[in-house]
Amino acid sequence: MTVSPSPWRWLLGRLVLAIPVVAGVTTLTFVLIHLAPGDPIIALAGDGGSPAYYREMHAKYGLDRSVPEQFVRYVASVARGDFGYSFMFQLPVLRLLLDHVAASLVLGFAALAIGVSVGFGAGALCAISRSRVLDAAVRSAASLAYAAPVFWTGQLLILIAAAKLGWLPAGGMTSARETFTGVAWFGDVAAHLMLPALTLSLPLAALVANVSRAAVVDGLHDSYVRAMYARGLSRTRVVVRHVIPNAAVPVATLIGQHAAEIVAGAALTESLFGWPGVGYLVLHASLHRDYPLVTAAFIVISSAVVFFNGLTDAVVAWLDPRMRLT
Amino acid sequence: MIKGSVQPRLAVAASVWLCLSGCSSGPVPTADPITLVVSQGGDPGALNPAVTTSGNTHPVTDQIFNGLVGLSHDLSPIPELAERWAIEDDGRSYRFHLRKDVRWHDGVAFTSDDVKFSFERALLKYHSRTRAALEGLLERVDTPDPHTVVFRLKRPYGPLLQRLDVVEASIIPRHQYQGHDLLSGEPTRRPIGTGPFRFTSYSPGDRLTLERNPDYFRKGLPGVDRLVFRILPNAVTAVSALEKGDVDYIGSVPGPDVARLRKSADIAVVPSTGGSGGSACQDVLIPNLTRPPFNDVRVRRAFAHAIDRRFIAERVYFGQGQPATGPISHLLAWAYTPDVRQYPHDVAVAGGFLDAAGYRPKGNGERFAITFTHASNHQRLAQVLREQLKAVGIRLDLQTLDFNAQVEQIFVKKAFDLGLASYCNGADPDIGVRRVYVSSNIGPFPFSNGASYRNARIDALFDQGTAVADRAQRTPHYVEIQRLLAEEVPYFWLIDSEGLRAHRTAFSGFRLWTGAFVEEVRPAAASPPR
Repeated sequence: MTVSPSPWRWLLGRLVLAIPVVAGVTTLTFVLIHLAPGDPIIALAGDGGSPAYYREMHAKYGLDRSVPEQFVRYVASVARGDFGYSFMFQLPVLRLLLDHVAASLVLGFAALAIGVSVGFGAGALCAISRSRVLDAAVRSAASLAYAAPVFWTGQLLILIAAAKLGWLPAGGMTSARETFTGVAWFGDVAAHLMLPALTLSLPLAALVANVSRAAVVDGLHDSYVRAMYARGLSRTRVVVRHVIPNAAVPVATLIGQHAAEIVAGAALTESLFGWPGVGYLVLHASLHRDYPLVTAAFIVISSAVVFFNGLTDAVVAWLDPRMRLT
Repeated sequence: MIKGSVQPRLAVAASVWLCLSGCSSGPVPTADPITLVVSQGGDPGALNPAVTTSGNTHPVTDQIFNGLVGLSHDLSPIPELAERWAIEDDGRSYRFHLRKDVRWHDGVAFTSDDVKFSFERALLKYHSRTRAALEGLLERVDTPDPHTVVFRLKRPYGPLLQRLDVVEASIIPRHQYQGHDLLSGEPTRRPIGTGPFRFTSYSPGDRLTLERNPDYFRKGLPGVDRLVFRILPNAVTAVSALEKGDVDYIGSVPGPDVARLRKSADIAVVPSTGGSGGSACQDVLIPNLTRPPFNDVRVRRAFAHAIDRRFIAERVYFGQGQPATGPISHLLAWAYTPDVRQYPHDVAVAGGFLDAAGYRPKGNGERFAITFTHASNHQRLAQVLREQLKAVGIRLDLQTLDFNAQVEQIFVKKAFDLGLASYCNGADPDIGVRRVYVSSNIGPFPFSNGASYRNARIDALFDQGTAVADRAQRTPHYVEIQRLLAEEVPYFWLIDSEGLRAHRTAFSGFRLWTGAFVEEVRPAAASPPR
């Protein structure tokens, strides 16, 4: 890996740049969620109360203060490492988020693995095979997979694979009826993971297929490839050892751009499948105006985006010696 | 205990893909209790039912806790924690004799101190509906002995018993909550109740598990060993999980799925009149009476004639409800009367009223335009209303918001022409009907008198309707209320909701109105419960 002038200095630079990004997202989230119409007390305490009751409840949760005052108090508390308590769950928001991050990682990485392997495989195969039929089929499928909203795709998969055929569970992360241990538990999780991971992976697979197809086609027509053929290298060796690794560079960039989104932002997919991840939590918290939970969640998500962007730069520099970390 | 630690899920991350490719052994159950899985649309959050009316919390907590009284299928009070009661002092005192065989889930005996604590420290302070109703009414709660409670009222109040079930007034343990914050303290995460099920674990976003209380005071109940609330926010997922057999019960059936589920031999689709948090609900259009055009009763009558409720009941609600005839749901049979002024769908009559009110058609046939503020789940209704009103020359502009935003727009900011709400009548008109019409309930708070309707006669009739406990004496007051309101149409009563629930036929005994709906459930072919 060629990293210059120093990976540590580069890392420090990225961290310094990350601070205004995360601070900006935090401020924007805090202001927007507080200005959005809707009252967390209604969701929390319910209906039919008297004006005095709602006034008291607002005061108890500090919601009677102005938004700027609430923001200053929030920033001060975050600076002390206290991200607050969720209105809904009455639990520390960091604990809630940590409890849900792992489920999101499982789903996100499974979707990434499916999306990248299927997408790259299909794209590269199209480029190498030179079959017009295969090419048209893959490109049409990719267009459909990219255009279809995950909410629609997911419901379709649920109706077919769970309700109609009964092959896979419709929702959740593990079976609610039975308790599994050991290997059977892993199998149970895997069965529950199939549909949400497939749903979440489809748009990425489509993107990766298109990008990798174009990259491999470009590579096959590049002058260095012709030079290799001229030197007598076989087509298989040229493609496997040179064209495909070079095509991985734009795909890695693409993965980096979408990784954080997939891992942290799969709100609709998680909510649809009842998958207990950060995305579900954020959606639930937004609908119930759970201000502390929403704000903290976006701090975590924006940090994840910054992290994955940095990771992408590092991976691209490793894959392509022409790139430098600056 | 709140479960959901990071480590097990990280372990999944490390190894699940290995299993996807290599696991050959199928899932093997390790235990065989009778488990009932209930689909739950959202997280219940903190688990103290005495401080919230939340429709996500009560379906769970109503299985863990009890009220002083229960409610029968016709919403009449029946013994629960109180085995009998007497109304004394011309209706100013209610004396409850408590059961002596009740223990909290931690083994401590239940006493009258728990009742006093629940009301004075929790219900009258934090339960929005109970506080609003009883705060100015209840003088004090006396506990002459550990098994007797006396409610002393400032004036006679007939519907008190209907306000004492587990939904409106759950009894919580004093010994657990003393010294803890009632909204956020440890007992809200590890609830201890007297009910048919004991709390086991809660993993937010995933599931909440309860187990059978072997010491439950209603001997032989409950009929299942384990009760799991599976969090499934999406209705399509919940219905599919029911069809596959992953869950056994869903609390509401989306209209388009009814016919398909009814064809299944393994699934029973059953009507329900209410659930935790509300019963006998009505979907009601709310006109803003403080400004034109709805400040003119002729326009309101025209509007009422322009709406085809039967079409809406069939095509929008898929038969899950019937056209409403007035301000009280027909499900409150003792208080309801259909003998009031009716507004059958009639475009010509509607046009006549609008002409008389001075709203004549312009060149394009349009008389005036109003905005309909509604939640996103009512888009289909909004589109149908737009078409029906177009026929009489009213243009309906649609403002679609999320649920909380539309509540704020209508009830708090009052920045609307026409809104929509589901007002649940509850077990008594004084619980869910009064709040919609009395002038003292006009204010910037949710599910109040949203139309800002004022009528001193109506205010007085609602007070008179609660002065006695005997329903026969109360009914005439509510009949007069319905007749007066039907003349003035301060709201447009669309549908008396009668929702549908569905369950696997492997289980039976679901209670279909309110509160502890799982208490009597058991496997369909089971012998009498242990």
